[in-house]
Amino acid sequence: MSAPPEVQTAEAAEHQREGALAALWNRVRPATSGQMWRNAGLIVALVALGVDLAIQRPYFFSKENFEVLATQMVTLGIASVGMAALIISGNVDLSIGSIFALGSTFAARYSFNVDPLIAFAIGIFVGAAFGFINGILVWRIRISPLIITLGTLSLFLGIALVITQGVGIPNLPRRYAYFGQAHLLGLPLPVWCLLIVVVLGHVILSRTTIGRHIYAIGGNRQAAEIAGIRVRRIVIGLFLVNGALIGFTGALATSRFDAADVQFGNGLGLDAITAVILGGVAFAGGEGTIVGVMLAVVLLTVINGAFVALGIDPYLGNVAKGGALLIAVGLDQLTHEQRERFRTMLALRDLKARHQQSDEGVDVSDPLKTRSG
Amino acid sequence: MAAVAVANSPDPVVRCRSITKYFGGVQALANVSLSLIPGEVLCLVGDNGAGKTTLSKIICGQLHPDAGDVWIGGRPRPRLTPLKALELGIAIVPQDLALCENLGASDNVMLGHEPVQLSLGPIRFLDSRRARREALKQINEVGVQIDKLDIPVRTMSGGQRQAIAIARAMVRGSTLIVFDEPTAALGVRQTEATIQLIRRVARRQIAVMVISHSLKDVMAVADRIVALRLGEVIMDKAVSDTTALEVGAAMSSGRAR
Repeated sequence: MSAPPEVQTAEAAEHQREGALAALWNRVRPATSGQMWRNAGLIVALVALGVDLAIQRPYFFSKENFEVLATQMVTLGIASVGMAALIISGNVDLSIGSIFALGSTFAARYSFNVDPLIAFAIGIFVGAAFGFINGILVWRIRISPLIITLGTLSLFLGIALVITQGVGIPNLPRRYAYFGQAHLLGLPLPVWCLLIVVVLGHVILSRTTIGRHIYAIGGNRQAAEIAGIRVRRIVIGLFLVNGALIGFTGALATSRFDAADVQFGNGLGLDAITAVILGGVAFAGGEGTIVGVMLAVVLLTVINGAFVALGIDPYLGNVAKGGALLIAVGLDQLTHEQRERFRTMLALRDLKARHQQSDEGVDVSDPLKTRSG
Repeated sequence: MAAVAVANSPDPVVRCRSITKYFGGVQALANVSLSLIPGEVLCLVGDNGAGKTTLSKIICGQLHPDAGDVWIGGRPRPRLTPLKALELGIAIVPQDLALCENLGASDNVMLGHEPVQLSLGPIRFLDSRRARREALKQINEVGVQIDKLDIPVRTMSGGQRQAIAIARAMVRGSTLIVFDEPTAALGVRQTEATIQLIRRVARRQIAVMVISHSLKDVMAVADRIVALRLGEVIMDKAVSDTTALEVGAAMSSGRAR
């Protein structure tokens, strides 16, 4: 099994060219350094915000307030898990706000007539159905999912508006509203739902074959097809599961608010994309983790809460969120360029050193000789 | 000589019988027959539009012939799909290698073929340790050194990337590997290494089909050369029975002698 010399020589030459320092750098640098830096950045931002709040508004750190914050991040959190999986696979779904509206509308309407659990199931089913429609359209119409779901964003919202005539559905039955407001082991039920979805999403993406295939499809779809991965099934399945998640979170939100309104889902798609990209997922696909995305969801939610607590104009919250996204993405680009420049510099320095050696009579034409000489 | 001796063996891995393919009114392949036996390197040569790619796509299940059939493992395989071809042991190494740049060497080699620890319905948990071990074994068999199996392959050298693509094709116990223009974008030294790699694959009793434009590389790597011109086989000879001049003539003018 030993490697034949001729191949090794070529490899050795390339390694040599990179230089010893660069090789060391490569060894030190972990495979997911970008994600690690991003997570570190998000944690630093969270801690900084936390310290500021701790000084100015100590009551921010009460159990009650944490519960409020946790409940507030349920919809965005669940939506971001589905969105992260979609974007990692090289897709995106802008229409989730409208699917949310449809899921919550249907669940709320049926909550008057059927068992609450069945009403939830209807919300999930409606979400899955519209997610499936997205998946089929993305598969059949070979154009960016961005455009297609831009279309269905409007289309689905229109359907929801036609059904409801834009009128909200208030005063849902108590037994239905119970689920969104109940507590289990000290935590609100919706927060448990979020935790379960996050853990499942993380495990599936990082530990299972489907997860690996999602990353592969996002990295190189053709490669995935050549390797025998059923790309169509996975992509359509992702849209469907994402829709089901959105339908579920829609039903959950109506249950918590005791009311349904088509407007509740406004901007959910863009918020989820913001969280996902801020969390370190590459919009081109193939990169990112649920852990990073959840850090971003927490940060965005805390920013919202902090602006309220600090009495800052809440409209500035949008400025902060947009700014955070741009700073994160910009820093990423900057460090990447810096890293490349650093590697080039090391390689050049190494090359120069070897040329000096060659002036002293060492032959640099054969990399193996250079190494031993 | 060895190639000729094996050529009499009765069990071809893949046999194409009288394959004809039209694209609209244009005839891409006309009554093409050829077979590949284990351990043989067959080079498919011809000018642009000769039908090389069409033929390879039919063998890989990406296209369907209008007439004639493809035999794999001793049986005709109508309605062949890429997935079915893969399951029947036919793998392709495309010109651009088609690697997942974001994944590591191990993940790329084992893609679609991952060892599983535990299955819960459609949710199958990866056995990363076994995956890494098998990937490493396969990469070593291809004969290239890769010490970091988890670093994204976009950071790797051309030779390493090619080895990963070949290891991915071999890991399922493939019986035929199709190389599409393996040396088209390579320098002199790299080309040499690639030819060695292909010969090493064939030594494992895998049938190899190489699509190439480069006369020099074809003469260096092939056991048998099949030349196509305007969809027809105009030459099918063992490399020992032909000369570079004859192959060159067949590729350009379409006349074998």
